[in-house]
Formats: sequence, structure tokens, C-alpha cells
Amino acid sequence: MFSSRLQEKTRRDFMKLSAAGVFAPSLSGWLPVMAKAAAKGGKGQAKSCILLWMDGGPSHKDTFDLKPDSKGAGDFKPIKTSAPGIEISEHLPNIAKVMHHGTVVRGMSTPEGAHPRAKYIGHTGYREGQGGLIYPSIGSLVSKELGNPDGSMPNFVTIGGRSFGSGFLGPKHQPLLITDANRGVEDLRATIANGQFDNRVGLLEKMEKAFQREYQADAINDHTTTYQRAVKLMQSKESKAFDLTSEPSAAREKYGSGKFADSVVMARRLVEVGVPFVEVSLGGWDTHQDNFARVQSLSGQVDSAVSALVADLKDRGLLDSTLIVWMGDFGRTPNINTRGAKPGRDHYPRAWSLAMWGGGIKGGSVVGKTDKEGATVVERPTSAQDYLATVCELMAIDYTKKNETATARPIQIVEKAKPFTDMIV
Amino acid sequence: MRYRAFSLFALTAGLAVLLGDIGLGVADAQVAKVQNKNKKLKKADPPPVAPVAPVAKAQPAKPAPKPLPTVIPAPKTKDAIGLAKLIDAEVNKKFTEAKITPSTRSSDDEFLRRVYLDITGVIPTADKAREFLDSTDPEKRVKLIDELLTDPNYGRRMADIWSAKLFPIDSANRFVLKEPLYKWFEGEFNKNVAWDKLVTSLITATGEVGTNPAVTYFLANRSVDKLTDTTAQHFMGIQLQCAQCHNHPFTDWKQSEYWGMATFYSKVRADNPKNANKGGDNTKIGVTENNAKSKIKDFFPESAKTVPATYLGGGEAEVSLNEAYRPVLAKWMTAPENPFFSKAIVNRTWAHLFGRGFVNPIDDMLEENAPTHPGLLDAMARHFGTAGEFDLKYLIKAICLSDAYQRTSKPTEDNKTDQSLFSHMTVKVLSPEQLFDSLAVVTGIGRGNAASPKAKGGKNAVGGPRTAFVNFFLAGSEATSPVEYEAGIPQALRLMNSRIVNNPGSLRGIVGKTTEPTQAIEQIYLTALSRRPTAEEMKMLKEYVASSGMSSMSALEDILWATINSSEFTLVR
Repeated sequence: MFSSRLQEKTRRDFMKLSAAGVFAPSLSGWLPVMAKAAAKGGKGQAKSCILLWMDGGPSHKDTFDLKPDSKGAGDFKPIKTSAPGIEISEHLPNIAKVMHHGTVVRGMSTPEGAHPRAKYIGHTGYREGQGGLIYPSIGSLVSKELGNPDGSMPNFVTIGGRSFGSGFLGPKHQPLLITDANRGVEDLRATIANGQFDNRVGLLEKMEKAFQREYQADAINDHTTTYQRAVKLMQSKESKAFDLTSEPSAAREKYGSGKFADSVVMARRLVEVGVPFVEVSLGGWDTHQDNFARVQSLSGQVDSAVSALVADLKDRGLLDSTLIVWMGDFGRTPNINTRGAKPGRDHYPRAWSLAMWGGGIKGGSVVGKTDKEGATVVERPTSAQDYLATVCELMAIDYTKKNETATARPIQIVEKAKPFTDMIV
Repeated sequence: MRYRAFSLFALTAGLAVLLGDIGLGVADAQVAKVQNKNKKLKKADPPPVAPVAPVAKAQPAKPAPKPLPTVIPAPKTKDAIGLAKLIDAEVNKKFTEAKITPSTRSSDDEFLRRVYLDITGVIPTADKAREFLDSTDPEKRVKLIDELLTDPNYGRRMADIWSAKLFPIDSANRFVLKEPLYKWFEGEFNKNVAWDKLVTSLITATGEVGTNPAVTYFLANRSVDKLTDTTAQHFMGIQLQCAQCHNHPFTDWKQSEYWGMATFYSKVRADNPKNANKGGDNTKIGVTENNAKSKIKDFFPESAKTVPATYLGGGEAEVSLNEAYRPVLAKWMTAPENPFFSKAIVNRTWAHLFGRGFVNPIDDMLEENAPTHPGLLDAMARHFGTAGEFDLKYLIKAICLSDAYQRTSKPTEDNKTDQSLFSHMTVKVLSPEQLFDSLAVVTGIGRGNAASPKAKGGKNAVGGPRTAFVNFFLAGSEATSPVEYEAGIPQALRLMNSRIVNNPGSLRGIVGKTTEPTQAIEQIYLTALSRRPTAEEMKMLKEYVASSGMSSMSALEDILWATINSSEFTLVR
């Protein structure tokens, strides 16, 4: 029973051996095999993904699927975008200018109406508690498939909020959590002078070598490797990506101001140094009351940050290799409630929207359609699994691949999925 | 069907106990005959479902017939030394077969730190370490085992393990209090309540959280399918959950048998913790068992099948409609002749101490997943459920007394590839709880919190520095692997650079007033690694102090930092 961890270990051992020159002559023999494995994942060309998670569940009818003639139309007017035929909220005017790089998925339909369970399925593709397992989130899955296990940078970073972790894939693929983009990585800097820190690491290395010589356990190697990576991160140029003070202020301003804007700037900087998955969350979308004022304000934050992100990635030639996803827990009721002093909308998983930009999608397309009220999906209903499988395909990951749990149960990356990749690339 | 044959085997095994007890020399041979019959019966059965990949990988296509397990008479008296001897006799047999030599006995310092961490979950203080290492008492290891089994930290260690298993991470559990269950476990394990009694208390629990915290088991696994899964997995070592939706692909578990087990929980009424949380008091929620099928929404999944209460791999239970079902389940499950119950806990306890069980994964005791030492596991399980009186401390003591447990973890040239015969001790990885508690011993950080995880509000185990640390190291999973180092960059950064490790008062707390390098270095080693430095290490470290160009205090702080961040600290050798 080979667990995924064991496979990882084997691969690491292989790398060690090849570094030592043992396998060097036959190395070329491996390459076609590896290339083949990659091809199986599909035609995707995205190397990184930035997931913008709208915590609480944004109202689809007030963002990307406006229904001006419906009963609960709300206060906002639709505007035209750079993609012919796509109209979105008037409070997303700058996003409207980059919609030709994007796709709106208007047929999202999911089974969970409570926040934690909805976020769970949206991140993992599995219902919480299903089969007694804790499933890995998409960030951890991407970390495992595309991440560099020995690099100095983490392969999954979440900024601004607790995300879902690596579940049965184990802590190696859990996200590095940034609580505040302006503070950067916690504990990244030594509390002592550099010279003294180097001395300490030197001392530690001596202890590690002696211990490994006597006990020869894999766990010792793994411990050493992890520490080496962490020290490398502390000393690496790449770790500058976590330091927003080195970003020119003019460049930052385009993203807007506030925590979310700062987080998105950091996400871009991380993608630039090759981090394959970054998740940024923006809370406040649970607008049971005062929906319109709140959505307008949140839309403003999203509008400047996303439009600046798309533009910056485009400028740097990274848009085709970076997939941006904007989504939340679920949509919100087509009708407007009148319980509170100011009208709101309640949870609505049956029909809702998400949006994507970059990542090699052709842009300007719409997937799925809701009815006149925005209440029912009438074309191309899309499940959480369909969406996640599409992300995998766009990133050249074979979503039918099976990971194994600690008890050697094979679990497919995404199950029961009908990806819509063909409609958008 | 195979499991039928399996339960029949349990009966013959029972016979073996009897024969063993009477002391008939022919017992083994007779039992072997009965087993042969079993084997024939099995062959007449329809062929099993073709094993899928993982099973096939584990057992490469070798059609060689499985050797019959030798039935070993179980000891008839409760005698830890006797049981340890049995363990060694059986473990040693395998070395001869595999032509390897076992590693030698562990050094005192290896044993000391290992047994402290395994039993109490925390390293000894420097004073304790010095006392043990300097003692010339030939009985000092036995005495230490006894002492640690009466240490209240034993209950905490077991509560850490069991509350993680029985209180799963689930958003529905955010309104369920964890602390009462944790405290209950701590108390029950410290009182050494017999395992059959403890499990019975859990699965028959009735009442409110405040007065009977065991009901939390039902509140935290609040549906018949979750209860069926967790009961099968944790108390019987069986992964049944796949059979919920379809017949199990690897084994003979049928969907109808799954729901036959689930029926035992069908009359349970577990309060909804969420409702109690709204202005309520969630120590006042609880569990009752009705006369009729429970009517709580969501307690039965949509896929639920209505099947009479049926024992797993056994017959339909004789229950009357008015009878409480759970005590019937408990009685069957915890009976000494139950084929799963004792084996599961023996295997689990072995894995707790050795890092791996006779069967691995430990809660996947399929017939296809053969034990490394079938005869020994079987004998220990039979003994544990009979003369052993389901006494966990006794079982732990016996295993800790064995040569197998007391071997060094340093491999030899010819046994270094062995990972399943226990020729050398496995190097284990500290659990996050062990790591925090041990760091607390060294640095003083979180002292006061280590002994009792307290929430900000004071009631819930969620919160407090220990829980925060543990959650950070678990990173969303339920438990870390006992044998694989899984921590990542964020954890390494925390251990290198956070205040937990760079607490300015730590060094003073360890070395006191001395800055004399030899003394101070020895004290640091005794505190962090529970041993004295070797002559070579002492030489290297003294040179470091002399050549660092800093105050000796700073240099000593460097040494302390390096020991805490070393794999020797994070691992159990």
C-alpha cells in the first residue's frame, strides 16, 4: 500500500540520488515518462492560481448576473463590458474593462446552504464529513501536484483569513497563513542578529548530522529538509515577495486601499516568484441586511483590486499562466427580504455566479444561464466538482488522479465532475 | 462468507484458550486441524471481489498459500512479566526466520525519554533525568514504568489521543463542548477503568453533558452513519464507511450489514447543540434513547436503509422493540469472544508504543491486511479480554517491559531495512501535544496551561496557548503521523523564531546562576534531551562557547536554541 506520502518520499530519494550523480546517466530516460504524465492533465497552461474568496456569499444578482426585469431586481443597474454580450454590475466598472480576459459562470448550483459546509465543498469538492475523511482544499491539491517540494517558497499561501487545509494530504501541503499582508510572514525573521543566527544554524547542522549517522531514520532527513527550506526562505530573495514595503506606492494604489487590496498585491508578487496557489479572502458578503450599501462598498474593493491584478499580470506576461478565480460560499436569494430595517438577501446555493480571468481561457465567454429571476439554472448547471475539475484542467492537473489517505483509500482529486474547460479555452 | 468463517475462527480460538488453560500439549495440533477445516469451508465460498490496486500492491501476486497462524496459548494469569516474555518469544522467532539480528538494549537515556513520552506525553525534568540515569537500582526501569503509569499526565496523554479521534473536526461541532469529554477521558484513563467498561459507558451514554460528559460522543458524531463509522473504526479496527453507500470493494462488508449495525443507534435522540447555543447552556444538552426510532431531522442520512439490528459478521440481534438497543450492542462488542474488540485495542496500544501496529493502518484490520505477528496478536487479544481484565495500564506495562520495546532505535547493518519485525525501535515523531508540553518543560512557556488546556472563557478546551499551538501544528488534520515528520515551513519558522523558543528567561530557568560552560551545557542537555552530552559533543560545544566571541550567556542560548530545534528533540528515539 503506497501512500501518497510514500510516493513523495520515493521521489525525494530519487532526487537526492540523482543529485549525487547515481542516476545521472539514466536521467534522460525519465523525462518522456514525466512529460507523458503531465500531458494527461489536459491542455491547461496555468502555472498558478489566485483564488479570491468572497466570504459570506456574494449576491449574484448584484454582481455578475443582474436581472433588471425581475421581481427582486435590486438597486443596481447592469453595464456593458469589454466582452460583447456580457453585462455586469455598475459598481464593477473597471472589471468591465477587462472582461474580455474573463469568463462568468452563471450556472453555479451547489447543495450546501450553511457557510461552513458551503465553503467546504467549494474548496474541496466533497461534502463535509463524507466517508469520515477530511478532504484537502484545492490549494493543497495544487501544492501537491504542481508545487516544488524542495524549494524555498511555500506552495500554498493564504492571505487574510483561515482557509481550508490539506486534510488527509498531511501538513506538508497546508497553506502558509498570512493574517495581515502588511505584516508579512509570521516568524520569518530571526529575533537575533544575522551572524548569530547563522552560528545557530551551523550548530544545528552539526547536531543533525551526528544524530542521523546513528539513527538513520527518514524522519530525521525530513526534519532536516524542512528546516533547510525554512532557513532558505528566510534568506531567499523570493521571500521579498512577502514584503509589501518593497512595492512602489504608485503600483499599490491601483489596487485600492485596505487589507484586501494589500493582500491581492501580495498574491501577485507571490505568483511572480512562482508560488502555484494563493488564496485571498474578503469577508462581509453575508448581507442578510443592508445588502445594497454593503455590496456596493465591497464591489468597489473588488473592482479596483481585480482590474489592477489583471492589468499587472498582463503587463508582466503572466496572465495566460495565472488563473484568477472570484467566488464565494453561494449566491443570495433572488428576492429581497424585509426583515431588517434595511433590505437584505439570504443564502442561496441553488443558482449563483463565479468569475475567472487569465489562466489561458479565451475570455469573453459565459458558462450557464439562470432564469429571469436569477432563481434557477436553466442552462449548463455547474457543480462545485465541475468547477474544481475545470481549475485542475486549466492547470494541467489530471483531476481523475487518485490520492491515497493514511489508510490507503484511493480518493480521486475531484469526483463526479463534468468540467467546462472546452467552453472557455 | 469470509467473515462468517472469521467468527467461527474466533470460536476455535476460544477453544484454544480452554485447551491452553487445561494445559493439553496437543492443543496446537488440534486447533490447526479445525483451522484446516475452516480453510476448506472458505474455499467453497464464492471467490472474493477482485482486489483493487492498493491491496494488490501490498501483496504482490504470489499465489503461495497463506501459512496457518500458529495458535499460541494465551497466558492464564495476569502477569506483566509473563506477558512480556511471551511477546519476546514470539517477536524473536521472526528474527530467526528473517535471518536478522535485533538491535541491542536501549541505553538508559534512550529508554527514559521514550517511556516518559510514550506514557505521559512529556519529557522528564532535568532532575528526574539525572536521578534515573545515576541510579544503580537494577529494577529502575520497572519502577519507572510503574511510576509513570500512576502519573496524572498519563490520563492527559490518553485524553489527547482519544478526544481527537472521537470528537472529529466538523463544522457541526463548533457548538459542542470538547472540554467535558476531554476531562472525562483524563479521569477515566487515570482511574484505569477497564477498556470494556469505558467503551460501554461511551456507547450507551445517556444524560446531559454536564453530568455525563460521555454523551458528547453522540453530540459530536450526530447521525447514525457517523456513529456507526466511528464505533467500527475506533473500537473494532474496521473501516466500514465505504459500505454505507455500496458493498465494500475490498472486503465482504455488505451495505445491509452496515445498516444492520447502524440500527443499534436508531433509537438515540441527541440534542442539537446549535439550538442550545442560542441563549442556552450547552452543558444542558444531551442524549436519550427512545422506545421507537428516533425522529430527529438529519439523524438518518438520505441513503439510510431499514435493516434489523445485526451484529457485524454475526447474526441478527435478539432485541425487543421496547428494549434499549445500545446496551445490547455494547454487550456484544465488549464480550471477550468478540473477534474485533480486543484485537483492535491491542493493536492500537502496540502501535502507540512502537509507532506501528501488527496490522497497519491500525484501524483497517481487514483479513487481507495480515498482521505481522498473527499468533502474538491473537494471543494478546485473547489474554487481554480474559485474564488481562481489559486492563490498559497492565497491557502497556507488559509491553514496556519487553525486550522488544526496550531495544535501541539504532539499527544494525543487517536490520536497518526491517520496518515490520521490531528488530529495532521505530524513531517516532512527537505529536503536537507532546511537543508543546515538552517545550513547556524546557522553556517555561505556557506553564500552567500545559497541565490543563483552558479556554479564554475557561470552559472550553478550544483556546489557550496549548490548543492554539496544537492546531497550528495539526494544520487542519485530526492527528499527525507517529512515524513521519510532517511539519512544514510555517512550523519550522515558529520553532526557530517565535517567542516560544526565544524566551529570554528560559536559559536562566535551566542553568540557574552558573555560566560555567561544562555545567551549563550538561544542564541544557539534561533538560532538553534527557541525557548528558557525549565527550565529543561537550568538546565541540565548549569550543563553540569559547570561540563565539559573544558572552557565554549568548553562546549558551545558541546551544539551547539548537537542541530545541534539533530532530533529537522533536523525535522519540
